[in-house]
Amino acid sequence: METRQLLRPLTNCCRSSSSSSGSLITSTANTTAAVMGRRHQSSTARTKKMLKIPPHPSFVNPVEGLNRVIYNPPAATPSVYHTPLKFLPSSDPRRQANLSSILRSSLQHQAENPTPTPTPTSSSSLPPTATKADEHEKQYNVSREGVEEMRALRAADPARWSVVKLAERFNCSKLFVMMCCRASREHRDQERERLEAIRARWGPVRKSAREERQKRRKMLLRSEL
Amino acid sequence: MKRIRIDRLLPSQLLATCPARSATACSNRISQAVRVSKLPAPTLQRLSQTQIRCQSTEALSPDAIYEEGESSEIPLETPPDEGPDYSKMPLPSPHPDRARLSAKLSALHARLSLPSKLSVEVLARTLVDSSADAHPRFNNATLAYSGAALLQYHASEWLITRYPRLPMSILFAAMKAYAGVPALYQVAHAWGVECAAAPGEEVDPGLLQYAHDRATVSMGKWGYVRSESKELQRYKWRRGTSSRVLYDDAFGEMVPGQKKVEHDALDVSGGRNTKDLLEDDIKHTAYANFVRALIGAVWLHSGRDAAKAFVKAHILSRQLNLSSLFEFKIPTRELARLCARENFEAPVARLLSETGRLSRTPVFVVGIYSGRDKLGEGFGPSLDSARISAAINALKAWYLYSPGDVNLPSDMLSEDAAPWKPVYVDIGEVIS
Repeated sequence: METRQLLRPLTNCCRSSSSSSGSLITSTANTTAAVMGRRHQSSTARTKKMLKIPPHPSFVNPVEGLNRVIYNPPAATPSVYHTPLKFLPSSDPRRQANLSSILRSSLQHQAENPTPTPTPTSSSSLPPTATKADEHEKQYNVSREGVEEMRALRAADPARWSVVKLAERFNCSKLFVMMCCRASREHRDQERERLEAIRARWGPVRKSAREERQKRRKMLLRSEL
Repeated sequence: MKRIRIDRLLPSQLLATCPARSATACSNRISQAVRVSKLPAPTLQRLSQTQIRCQSTEALSPDAIYEEGESSEIPLETPPDEGPDYSKMPLPSPHPDRARLSAKLSALHARLSLPSKLSVEVLARTLVDSSADAHPRFNNATLAYSGAALLQYHASEWLITRYPRLPMSILFAAMKAYAGVPALYQVAHAWGVECAAAPGEEVDPGLLQYAHDRATVSMGKWGYVRSESKELQRYKWRRGTSSRVLYDDAFGEMVPGQKKVEHDALDVSGGRNTKDLLEDDIKHTAYANFVRALIGAVWLHSGRDAAKAFVKAHILSRQLNLSSLFEFKIPTRELARLCARENFEAPVARLLSETGRLSRTPVFVVGIYSGRDKLGEGFGPSLDSARISAAINALKAWYLYSPGDVNLPSDMLSEDAAPWKPVYVDIGEVIS
């Protein structure tokens, strides 16, 4: 308490000099912080000052002697009524109007990677894929014999050759395995009973969490989230 | 609202509290009856001469309904000078000549800036529902029928040319949102139309008149009654979209068949045609029929272009957020099918930006790309939900494509129309 009282004139002098020189204030502020120890954002004025954000440059730098349109849209999701160029039908006049921009982007693309790649998705200028599944193209590596073998394995011992195991063995997706083969009715009933036994052990918290997840999923599909 | 003036009521009227007519009670009984209005003499001289209103079909008085058990046959030919009951009976709806005296009607006429060719008497007739006055020359049923046809035609051609890729179910929903009963009820409410407490002769003609206690006979339904309609209602069978287009009405809703009449068989007084369909929501249907009848009246008295302008100004100018009507099942698969159908590259989800991946509330912004073109963008608290919402946005951007203001087919009906340029109509929705 006493040190603070003592230092107050010093900090005041720093504040008054802050408008004049920036380099001075940093050095003195460091020294006062060292003297006073940990200091929290406890005063309103200091927090307000920190939250002051400079205006967008489009507002600050005027073009001399000209009235101008300030285009500074807030960050928002793009409107679905704005049809992407790829979705415009060939008869649409917007396609002709934007022909130059389409050409320019394609020229840019060619300049970036002059050798035409067979897969355009592998170009480096695009953002990274969201999931690993999107990274590689579809392989179609399971042959007809492979599918038959998969079915035979699944029919012989569905407990041992589960969907995950089959997908690992044949190097394909689980969805593909489920498209190819279907377990016997007994196995499906067993699995359902096992799952229901697990569900019966859930407490109220987990149960309601699952229900809410389902609700959120439905809301997502109605784009209400 | 209707104000009942007790001092002017006769004692017999006080006793006969039952409204004057049942919905279509008169349709079979053809007789000639001259009915004289018992209104106090109006100020205009000509009104006193034109008070006599001739009706080719005769309304059942409440007494006649109750006496039907004893005397089942009402004489088909009643001499006009006989039958003091009929001459004393009040009219079911206000006399057309009183329309000039109603301030409400003139105000409504001016408020909607209706053409002067559409007289106030016609406007008064559009306000009389068929449940109030069953006589087709004094109620709005015929006008409502033509008005509904016009309205649905203009709404559907506007929607199809403006949004040529809308899926059929969305188109049905949009049709209902523009030209359906709830929307028309809102329109009529916004016009400031009020309803009378009960229909009758002494009601101000500027009030909407319908019987609150009797079902309105539905007028002007387009569509077929399906042969399996009973099972569809009872067992909730699925109706495919193609059969909806073929059989059902303009909003994809089934024409309900005769089921409802069977339920209401108790109040059918023998006079009603058993094939008539009854409406569920009496109030909303009456308001909607008024709007339809007004459109029909504008068309009848001022022509096609005026009716089209009226529909455009009052119905199609309303805002509807079409993007909120969509609900998808597996949007990512549907988008993949769409890209395969249109020979685009397969869609790939790409991470545009993210924040707080390891925090409790992360936000991911994911864009869906086909080749180098971004099709849609979405955000979400997980990568999967962001991808799904991006796919939904891409699909909506496909379905909600609009060529802007293009010529409508009805524009070609005018004589100085420019040569027709074919509009773009998509091959159909994506089936996945």
